[in-house]
Amino acid sequence: MSFRLNKVLLSIVACGAVTLGAQDLSNYTSFTVDGKTIQIHGFFSQGFVGTNDNNWLTMNTSNGSFAMTDGGVNVSSQLTDKFRVGAQVNDRNLGQLGQWHPQLDWAYGDYKFTNWFGVRAGKVKTMMGLYNDTQDMDFLHTFALLPQSVYPTDLRDATLSHLGADIYGTISPKRIGSFSYTLYGGDRRDSLYGGYPYNLTIHGIYLHQYGGPVYGADLRWDTPLKGVLVGYSYLSEDITGTGQLNPSVALGGPNTLVPYKEWSKNDFVEQYYGQYTIGKLRIDAEHRRYLREQDVFSGQFGILTDVRAWYFAGAYRVAKRLELGSYYSHFGINWYTDVPGQVESPSESAPDRHLYDKVVTARFDLTSSLYLKIEGHLMNGYGGFLYPDGFYPQVNPQGLKPNTNALVALTGWSF
Amino acid sequence: MKRIQFLLFAAVAALLFTSASLQAAEVKIIANASVGESSVSADELKRVFLLEKNALDDGSHVEPVVAKGGPTHEAFLKEYLSKTDSALQTYYRSLVFTGKASMPKTLGSEAEVAAYVARTKGAIGYVGAATAAPGTKTLEVK
Repeated sequence: MSFRLNKVLLSIVACGAVTLGAQDLSNYTSFTVDGKTIQIHGFFSQGFVGTNDNNWLTMNTSNGSFAMTDGGVNVSSQLTDKFRVGAQVNDRNLGQLGQWHPQLDWAYGDYKFTNWFGVRAGKVKTMMGLYNDTQDMDFLHTFALLPQSVYPTDLRDATLSHLGADIYGTISPKRIGSFSYTLYGGDRRDSLYGGYPYNLTIHGIYLHQYGGPVYGADLRWDTPLKGVLVGYSYLSEDITGTGQLNPSVALGGPNTLVPYKEWSKNDFVEQYYGQYTIGKLRIDAEHRRYLREQDVFSGQFGILTDVRAWYFAGAYRVAKRLELGSYYSHFGINWYTDVPGQVESPSESAPDRHLYDKVVTARFDLTSSLYLKIEGHLMNGYGGFLYPDGFYPQVNPQGLKPNTNALVALTGWSF
Repeated sequence: MKRIQFLLFAAVAALLFTSASLQAAEVKIIANASVGESSVSADELKRVFLLEKNALDDGSHVEPVVAKGGPTHEAFLKEYLSKTDSALQTYYRSLVFTGKASMPKTLGSEAEVAAYVARTKGAIGYVGAATAAPGTKTLEVK
């Protein structure tokens, strides 16, 4: 979509949002069918990103880009005291990703036998860390972009949801707070318009399918210390990608298309997290390790990527309509491979081994449903090309500079 | 010196206790007559309004009703949920937009809350301590 058309669209959306926001559109739609209440909720956001040098998140940000649009709508109903059903569809465009292909975000039935045991089945958002299951809904967060080391928006398909079942519950022993658990198993099917398939195209790989079985657990402790929450999540998966390969691009072979396959040998995510809230202040900290050992190019080569990521964030509601926040995000990557031409830099201080990001944000709640975020990023590093972390060679053909400064403006509306 | 320190400590403790008592006394928890319990623990009350529990320990189904704003609403949030209003709305929305819950009933005045609780089976809400709530029962918070 052209820059001019995006600008016109943004103007229309902004005017519409200001006009509509003047009314109280925080009210969702609710109606009754056969005695059952059905609720309809939705959200929409439009962003602008500008960077000083490198193009970021597959957008042409060095010239300023409005290619950052997201939205969704859900419908749900509590059919009995114990059983509810619902579904949410969303659509996004983020530079070269998403490209307006609507997706089923979640759709499941939820039966709560007791407070300590319930079952969800269908397409379910994956519980991991503080914000994995809500990372695609920015209106719920202070920041326009969550810390990208742990919640990369271009790779959110990898952990966002699974098709399967969860068992969950909350146990509240006296005097030691409460424990909430989730155990899940199922299948992960990534969108072909996500960051990982897009990254592979630079190597002449075009995926037609990417996914596989996934299982995991999350345990969080709402401690007896007021406002203190800690937790641990683990996810393991066995992912296979199939498609086509043009050997001339990365391997110096013939310029033709041949079948391609890659598969996991060891693939897991481990995450520790904590949160402290007191009054209008919230402090978050998370650490994620993502290790992936896989065979690629149909078994010809192997790759092991080991990502260690963490962030520390704070947010404070200064006034009813203003919240300020800041975070430091740390992404470090080791990789080992026998793919020709891919040599790991010896130290994490090299820009292709890390991405450090310092961020400040102001969130203006213009009404109870309409908001505006202004956010600045000071980034050092750009990570390696074997595993995408926001900087893609396809949109940076001139090469990458070690530092990127970015301004993100995001407006949105939810009901 | 030690006596002065003790008196200071006693004065501060008395002030804190009085403040907490005043805050708790500002809010009255009310429930529909169908709710079997006459008392509820603070932790259980928190779990109900955070949509983690939809039944009390005696098995009574409960449905929380929240106010849209006001001093009683703010006092309830501070005393029992340890959340600001914006944090509570964000919390509810995170459940709604991941499919885990429906948005709780939100009413604009204490009179509306009292009337809704009186006529709705399982409803549980909060009003000012001096607010009349005919047709409801008051739950003691332990």
